[in-house]
Amino acid sequence: MRKKRLLAVLLTLVMTASMILTGCSGNSTGDEGGSKKGERKRISVLLRASESHPKYIMLKKLLTEFSEENGLDEPEFELVVSDADYVTKLQLYINSNSLPDIYGGANGALSKAAKDIDGIVNIGEELERVGMKDTMNEAVYDFFVDNEDGEVYLFPECLNCEFFFYRKDIFEKYNLETPTTWDEFLAVCETLKSNNEVPLIVAGQENWQLMRYLSFAPWRVTKDGFITGYMSGEETFGENESAQTGVELLNELGTKGYFQGGFLSTDYTASKDLFFGGTGAMYYSGSGQIQDASAKYDSGELGFFPVPDVDGMENMDTNVPIHGGFGTAFNKGTYDETMQSFFEYMCKNYTRVCYEDAKVFSPFNEEIPEGLDALFYDLQPLFETASDAWVSWDDKLDSATLTSIVDEQQKLAQGTVNLEDFEKTVDGFITK
Amino acid sequence: MQKAFGRKKVLAMFLTPALVVYIAFVVVSVVWAAYYSFFDWSGVGEKTFIGIQNYIQLFTKDPIFWKTVLHTIIYTIICVAIQVFGGLLFAVFLTRINKGRAILQTLYYVPVVISSVAICQIFSKLFSVTPTGVVNAVLSNLSSKFAMFEWISNADVSLYLAAFVEGYKYLGLYMVIFYAALIGVPKELEEAAIVDGANVVQQYWKVKIPYIKPVIIANCVLVLNGSLRSFDISYLLTKGGPGNASELMSTYMYKQAFSSMKYGYGSAIAIAIVIICLLIGFVFRRFTERGDENE
Repeated sequence: MRKKRLLAVLLTLVMTASMILTGCSGNSTGDEGGSKKGERKRISVLLRASESHPKYIMLKKLLTEFSEENGLDEPEFELVVSDADYVTKLQLYINSNSLPDIYGGANGALSKAAKDIDGIVNIGEELERVGMKDTMNEAVYDFFVDNEDGEVYLFPECLNCEFFFYRKDIFEKYNLETPTTWDEFLAVCETLKSNNEVPLIVAGQENWQLMRYLSFAPWRVTKDGFITGYMSGEETFGENESAQTGVELLNELGTKGYFQGGFLSTDYTASKDLFFGGTGAMYYSGSGQIQDASAKYDSGELGFFPVPDVDGMENMDTNVPIHGGFGTAFNKGTYDETMQSFFEYMCKNYTRVCYEDAKVFSPFNEEIPEGLDALFYDLQPLFETASDAWVSWDDKLDSATLTSIVDEQQKLAQGTVNLEDFEKTVDGFITK
Repeated sequence: MQKAFGRKKVLAMFLTPALVVYIAFVVVSVVWAAYYSFFDWSGVGEKTFIGIQNYIQLFTKDPIFWKTVLHTIIYTIICVAIQVFGGLLFAVFLTRINKGRAILQTLYYVPVVISSVAICQIFSKLFSVTPTGVVNAVLSNLSSKFAMFEWISNADVSLYLAAFVEGYKYLGLYMVIFYAALIGVPKELEEAAIVDGANVVQQYWKVKIPYIKPVIIANCVLVLNGSLRSFDISYLLTKGGPGNASELMSTYMYKQAFSSMKYGYGSAIAIAIVIICLLIGFVFRRFTERGDENE
């Protein structure tokens, strides 16, 4: 009996010890890859992306090629699709100072925290080191400039340019011209609506889609003047004329039924399926959807037009929002010689993988290879000379204000809050 | 064997691992959240100690929080109605049929094992407006107004819809528990009721349901706890929107902590949820215990 009990106790101890050892054996993402703890075996990456995302496709290709050439193991990817989950994961890595070699990021609280732990490489300096700074599109570079110190810490995903796709057949049917001002845009919507067409498809479930309509007018008139002024308390929605235009625009589009029915429950994938599946006359999208649009564009069904001007106000020349997507950061703590040579390899080969593999525009002003979809060549003039980047409110606003505005903009688009109350509420987020 | 289990040391040996796991994953987490709730912290970088400021903000200056409390109570009531009373009703029907009972039981149970993500996808397609979902297509036969009726993105409906989906998902689980309890009611009781002239309704109302009252109470406590902390269905189906129309305490806590990056404030909401859950659970237990004593 005693022997049995002893055996039971021993077994319990062995099980407990094995569980503890199993728990301890897991590597944190950065440990094995980083050079801090011995010779580098592989490069580790954390991305906010799915396996079909251009960023993953490009980095996977570049890192695999580089690893093979340099005798490294296969790169280690950790992909997180959801925004909130990604932020949580990154917070965890920053707090435990165990960031992977490469990780996705945006300007704001997270990049600041990464800077605080010396976990982010100055990309501007690195681009200069490898002689590629001048080759990068000016607007894309401008998009990633850090408000705090004017440096660039993030490498662009690609060059994204945004514009409206429209159905040429529907426009011809009602003798409509592509709008150049927002008043014309609303008139087009009204004509389409009165003819029982769905004027505009929007992914209302995505924060950024509705926010675009709120921010188009302030961007065309003030670039980042309004939003930075708003954050510092110098500008308000209640007083800034361009911001009021944005508020009126979103309200009118939502309440007059210019968006598709149930737009607030439509996510981005569903919105793409709707528009490219034949529903709706206009769709705000961008170069990321070239592959979806190419067949219809080639057959003459689809056309595109840039962001309209704000009537009665002075608009800046750039009318195509250009941005670099969700940036890529390099961990300064593990930025050894191997990582430096990978950075150089990446810059030299980025344009190739952009066009060959991911089918997106390269952030570098390099020649577009032949044999791509016609849209690539037709869209290029839109951004070739652009020097002003898109000002993403998602990056400029702090997370708390952004979350609160997102809730309010839904109410505004649905008409459950009037313009004055909306302006008063969102202005209150800053004074609070 | 019986002798061995009776010994305190052996009992402790079996109970300690569970207790340790519970303390490590529940108690420590709650204490840790309570600690964070006294800080102004974005989740990364420096924490600033601000005492009870987060709680003052939460209870006195945050109207959305109190809205979420009300939403959660409504949500819980609907879930209790569907899961407990609906589950009981389904279980009663199941005890009345002989043919195809196993098939029906399995069918009703299927939503329980389907993931919340899949359930929400199914319902978002069913209640879709553009393109027209099944629900609107069917209802538009009754009235053309329903063709464009918004469900998920309707501020007046989204909360009830989310609660309905949650109720639907777990109804099968409670149905199975009630069914097991109902078939466990001694036959003699039923026979005695029949001899006394009770009809079918009276057999259930006067004999069987009172007999399984402890199971009903236990299920109520389970549903109450589950619904008060419910997160997945509401977040996946409506994201708490439009605006805050279907925001629950847990989704609000998540948004504050992880979207707004107000980790300290989110922790304060988490502690408030724990306190509210404990309070409601305690009041419910007192209420049901008093009922038992009166009987």
